[in-house]
Amino acid sequence: MNVRFMNPFVEAAYEVLKAEARVSVTRGNLSLEKSALTADEVTVLVSLVGQVQGVALYGLSTAMGVALVSSMMMQEFNEFDDLARSGVAELGNVITGRASVKLAEAGFVSNISPPTLIQGTGVRISTLDFARIVVPLSCPLGTLTVHLALREAPTGKADGLVPIPEPPGSIS
Amino acid sequence: MNVRFLNPFVEAAHEVLEAETSLQMKRGELRLESGPYTSDDVTVILSLVGNVEGNVFYSMSQASALALASRILGEPLENFDGLAQSGIAELGNVITGRASVKLSEAGFEANISPPTLLQGRGASISTLDFARLVVPLISDEGTLVIHLALREGIQRRVTTASLPVPERPVLPAGRPG
Repeated sequence: MNVRFMNPFVEAAYEVLKAEARVSVTRGNLSLEKSALTADEVTVLVSLVGQVQGVALYGLSTAMGVALVSSMMMQEFNEFDDLARSGVAELGNVITGRASVKLAEAGFVSNISPPTLIQGTGVRISTLDFARIVVPLSCPLGTLTVHLALREAPTGKADGLVPIPEPPGSIS
Repeated sequence: MNVRFLNPFVEAAHEVLEAETSLQMKRGELRLESGPYTSDDVTVILSLVGNVEGNVFYSMSQASALALASRILGEPLENFDGLAQSGIAELGNVITGRASVKLSEAGFEANISPPTLLQGRGASISTLDFARLVVPLISDEGTLVIHLALREGIQRRVTTASLPVPERPVLPAGRPG
C-alpha cells in the first residue's frame, strides 16, 4: 500500500464533506493493517481499476450516516432507510471519484466502480494480500474511517486506454 | 441488469470449476433481486469497469467454501484460514477474468478490480439502484451463488476515430510543400 495514494483521499473527503454536509473533518492517527477488518455498522465499498487499483472502504456508524444525510439533503432523517443508504453510498462514490481525479493529476489514471453498501457489525472484510492504510476522519457528527488497499497496477498490463496520438510530424 | 451479461459468467464458472475442482455444476433457478442481499458465510466481491460495469458477488456457505478451497489447493483444509480465503478469492477472480474475456469478445471491454472477501452471515449488502441477477450453481460440494449487478458502461474511452482531424498547417511562403 503506497502512502502516495492516501493524500488524494484525505483531501477529497475533506472537500466533499465540507461542500456536501458542511462538516470539517480532522485526520487522526494512521495505521497499517494486514488482517481483515471488522466492519462498522455501515461500510461503503468502491473499487478502483487502472494504473492504481484496489479498494476504498468507508466505515461509519448508522447514527453518523443518518446525521450526514440529514445535513446533505437538508431534511430530518429518523432512520437509516433506503434514501439514507443511497445518500451515504453516493458520498463514498463522490469522495472516491474526486480522489481518482487527484490521482490522475499525479499520473495514476483509474476508473471507479459503482458503490456497494454493507450493513452488519461483526462482518469481516478482507483485502487479502493488500495491506490497508486506515485513516480516521473525525468531525462533530462522528468518525468516518477510510480504509485504503491500493497499489500501482503491475507494469505491462494493458489498461485498455488508447493514448492520444502525437500531432502530425513537424515540418523539417 | 442486462441478461446478455449472464451467459459469459455461467460459462466461465462452469469452465473454471471443472478445471480447478473437477466439479460439474448445474444451474439452478434464476431470480432478480432489487433489495439488499443478505450475506451467506463467505462472499467474494469484484467490480468491473468499462463497457460493462458494476459489481459481482460469489457467495457460499463456509462448508462449501472449505470444500471448494480444498479441491482447488489439492489438500484437505480444516479451517477457513488465510490460505483457504486466498483460494476462494482467487476462484472469484479467475471466473470473473474468464467472463470478462468472453464479454470483450461480445464487444464489452472491461477491466476487473482485485477481489474483496466478506465473512459473516446475515450482513445486508446493497447494490442500491442496480438490481441483481442471482444464479445458483449447484454441485456435489454445495451451492455457489453468483450475483450480477451489471450494466452497460458510460463510454469513457476515446478512440482515434472520434478525435477531430486537426487543421492542415499553413506553410510560410517559400518552403517546399
